[in-house]
Amino acid sequence: MTVHWNGDTPIYIQLYQQVIQRILDGHIKEGEALPSVRKVAAEYQLNPVTISKAYQMLQDEQYVEKQRGKGLFVILGAPHSILEKERASFVSTEWPLILQKISRLKLSVEELPHTTKEHQ
Amino acid sequence: MSAMISMSGLHKSYKNKQVLNDVNLTLGAGQILGLVGPNGAGKTTCLQALLGLTSYEGDIDVLGYNPSKSREKMLADVAYIADVAVLPKWIKVDQALTYMQGVHPNFNRQKAEAFLAKTNIPTTAKVKTLSKGMVTQLHLALILAVDAKILILDEPTLGLDILTRRQFYSHLLEDFYDADKCIIVTTHQIEEIEHILTDAAFIRDGKIVLDQSVDDIRSRFKLVAVDNEHLEQAKTYNPLFTNSMMGITSMLFDNADPATLATLGKVSAPTLADIFVGMMTQETNL
Repeated sequence: MTVHWNGDTPIYIQLYQQVIQRILDGHIKEGEALPSVRKVAAEYQLNPVTISKAYQMLQDEQYVEKQRGKGLFVILGAPHSILEKERASFVSTEWPLILQKISRLKLSVEELPHTTKEHQ
Repeated sequence: MSAMISMSGLHKSYKNKQVLNDVNLTLGAGQILGLVGPNGAGKTTCLQALLGLTSYEGDIDVLGYNPSKSREKMLADVAYIADVAVLPKWIKVDQALTYMQGVHPNFNRQKAEAFLAKTNIPTTAKVKTLSKGMVTQLHLALILAVDAKILILDEPTLGLDILTRRQFYSHLLEDFYDADKCIIVTTHQIEEIEHILTDAAFIRDGKIVLDQSVDDIRSRFKLVAVDNEHLEQAKTYNPLFTNSMMGITSMLFDNADPATLATLGKVSAPTLADIFVGMMTQETNL
């Protein structure tokens, strides 16, 4: 699979975000192994250093840990800590922008659909 | 990091035509360098000089060897794939392995066989019955089995379909490359390998016009979608390349102040192909 990388953000950050998102959505579960750097490099046609950088970030955030000779594994509780962090960052950075847009468009809360289902 | 390959002050001319003009390149462990240039720019000559296949003026050092003097010793650790079609058509796959075993001191037959077992190449097949993609894989099997430290690839995927091209680079990354090795690759399909490269060098008329890490190149060049009201102002910052389309003008800038660029329009990161086209077109205009 080729992934379409966005040119404005370094790829290792996008890869980091992709792993975070997959853990959050339950595609990669607690205790599960991440594919090896080589495997990802070959699959995504990326330089291995790029993948190592993303994996290092995940380790620094303590979402994954290294098991000697076996590679990287998702730490128990990682989905929860990711959820907490992503919620906080949504509330502090994304939500204010959405609020701004709502007021710029002069929308009232009543006019907005309550769920995505209703919207479809 | 000590250099595995260094070329300095490389010159070469055929009759009156200068094909290499003061080429300097250094490559260390872990680097994957893309050598990119238009046809006839000197890429192949540069690689041939590196392999001791052609005479040159200047200095080349490959793993401590002078390629024109100690070519045989050097080739124990250097592997080369040129546009695939160099294996004799009549040879059988297992004969090619036996031949390599005879001529190459580091050839590990099991390794080649293990790699071939992952492909659909029968060991009894003759090269002429194999598809172009299979021949490429056979080449890879031979290279992996000599466990070279340096790999030189001159248009390795020329004429291959996209599936086989991807497969080639996948095997390269999965089965060959590690942090102790280095690779030089020339290709016209730069957009397919730009994320694999650690470094890129652009060559034009025998001269290296850019040689930097891909990260540095990405931060140095910026593409700006300039709106009409800022057009005149933008021109004063000397864009390398300008292209107008549907009311927006894309301009490529080299080393411009990011804050200034942001006032001109939407800034984005160009691909290596964008930069290549921009630089080559600009050079013609001079």
